Amino acid sequence: MTNFFLQALTEVGSPSVLGLILIGVLFGIIGGSIPGFTVTMAILVVFPFTFAMDPVSGVSLMVGVFVGGYSGGIVSGVMLGIPGTPSSITTVYDGYPMAQKGEPGRALGIGVAASFLGTLISVAVLVFFGPLIASFSMNFRPWEITALIVFALTLVAGLSNGALLKGLLAAALGLLITTVGYDRNSNLRFDFGLPALGSGFEILPVMIGIFAFSQLLGNIEKIKDEGHDAKKVDTNVTIPYGQIIKDMAGQKLNTLRSSLIGSLVGALPGTGGTVANFLSYDQAKKFSRHPEEFGTGTPSGIVASEASNSAVAGGAFVPTLALGIPGDLPMAIMMGVLILHGITPGPMMFEQNPVLVGAIYASLLIGAVVMVLCNLLLVRWFAKISLIPQQILVPVVLMLCAIGAYALNNNLFDIWVLFIFGVIGYLLWKAEVPLTPLILGVVLGENLERQLFRALELNDNWLTFLTRPLSALFLALAIASILFSLYQDRKIRRLKQAAQQENV
Amino acid sequence: MLTLTKDRALALALLLIVAVMWIASGDIRPPTAWQPYGSALFPRILLVVIGLLSLLILVRSLLVKVPEQAGLGTRINEWFQRRRTILALFLLFGLYAALLPLVGYIAATLGFLIASFALLMGIDTRRKWVINLTISCTLAIAIFVIFRYGLNVWLP
Repeated sequence: MTNFFLQALTEVGSPSVLGLILIGVLFGIIGGSIPGFTVTMAILVVFPFTFAMDPVSGVSLMVGVFVGGYSGGIVSGVMLGIPGTPSSITTVYDGYPMAQKGEPGRALGIGVAASFLGTLISVAVLVFFGPLIASFSMNFRPWEITALIVFALTLVAGLSNGALLKGLLAAALGLLITTVGYDRNSNLRFDFGLPALGSGFEILPVMIGIFAFSQLLGNIEKIKDEGHDAKKVDTNVTIPYGQIIKDMAGQKLNTLRSSLIGSLVGALPGTGGTVANFLSYDQAKKFSRHPEEFGTGTPSGIVASEASNSAVAGGAFVPTLALGIPGDLPMAIMMGVLILHGITPGPMMFEQNPVLVGAIYASLLIGAVVMVLCNLLLVRWFAKISLIPQQILVPVVLMLCAIGAYALNNNLFDIWVLFIFGVIGYLLWKAEVPLTPLILGVVLGENLERQLFRALELNDNWLTFLTRPLSALFLALAIASILFSLYQDRKIRRLKQAAQQENV
Repeated sequence: MLTLTKDRALALALLLIVAVMWIASGDIRPPTAWQPYGSALFPRILLVVIGLLSLLILVRSLLVKVPEQAGLGTRINEWFQRRRTILALFLLFGLYAALLPLVGYIAATLGFLIASFALLMGIDTRRKWVINLTISCTLAIAIFVIFRYGLNVWLP
């Protein structure tokens, strides 16, 4: 592995790839700092630019966006009091009050330092656990892989805003989308007489359409409903380096704990940065000697939030690389990118593409360093950019989505796919159907069908899924996750009813 | 008369899709000796799952009492009225997709950006027009140059 890592480091260390990481990080920070834009959207916008690149360059650029994106929420969180991404909500709790007390530079510096350390620790987790889980999952046969995909889908569906039925429905719809066109046996399905549907839907226009339209148009609706106006903000910030070093020296345990929470949460399907920053903020508060200071502008709150959400980046790569199963939306898109470059994420990747795996590690590390430099040197500019109004942003991103969809295969049909799934995504979002399970279904659908029928071709008894221990375990976990979500749904409903009765 | 709620509309729409796709799955080549499960089995399993879940959502939505609301026509009209901007943006995007092969990237993109900015920002001041035209022209050309000369991707 060391040899491959060094080889990867040489490739990633070339000026052109370093330049791409820098661009990725810059764009990620910008994406993360604009409220309502999110890391996922930043990844979607940058993605088409990787089509013409070699895999290492493309992946390095995307990893740069990841690292930058997860740290970008600090800027708007501290300066505007609005989380740039959902994964930096708790950053606002202490970052904004600290900025209001006249110390925005200190808040930003602490956030950036915590983000940096969080990313480093998560890379260590990835380097240690990635190959370990991959070598374990090498023993998985089609039964285990099928059951694991089912488990991942039910888990993500169950964690979707307490809407289990709609989450499961979304996952099944995502899987159904992948059945259009020629299948593994070269039989045509659901083409409805349209030759363009013969080759099925490309994953990326479908994902972009479903996610981007609902998100962007949702932002427009929000502005219209709430009448949001850009705040006037003083973007003149100086970073007090000495103070930050002193602050961080007192946060060693908090940084480590929050980074490990972030890495672990990132590695679990269906969770991601939002859960990570709440969980870690809550833990930091419980372990603190001064819990009453949380929410008033304490460094501990900023560290807990930023170390954990940045650690998600490394943690989230673990199941994607080791099992071929992305845990959250940004990773599902990252997996789409890898597939597009002819790489199938999964345990075999460690054997077949070790240089690329090493390149991901190296890009994460270099990206973390670049992120710190960019954030500290350019924070004033990021704060200004984060004020770009949605009215300008939305048409630009929609245009980039269209060009991205077209550039995939130089095929205009893909723009129509993007548009149609944009309409579908928007309507589903309006009907409160969670979109993450749907996108995960689209990414995993083909593999699920392939593995299911490979298992049945090897042994036509469906009960084999229950007689093989690991496969049975995954299926049991899938059922347990559904039951747990049902319990959660009921609890939420009961609490809502109780609250309503109290109001009456 | 039952009120059409979000959940009911979703469930009914999905049940309709399931019915259409189930019928369409009849056109898929049937199983053979070397393809014993055939190609229709997997989508049919999914259609059954989607159908059952939609039915559950429908039944659950029928168990919840919904206050009497205005007629369906009025509510649909209201829905469209409230989302005029969103619908206009969808329409502009559809036009953009249709015009791309006809007038080429630069003209179609300029048209889409200028019209969308005008729709979202308004056109009531000279300043807004300047911002609109500056961003539209700069971006349309910059993206063309990056893709065509930087990434060697031909745009229509």
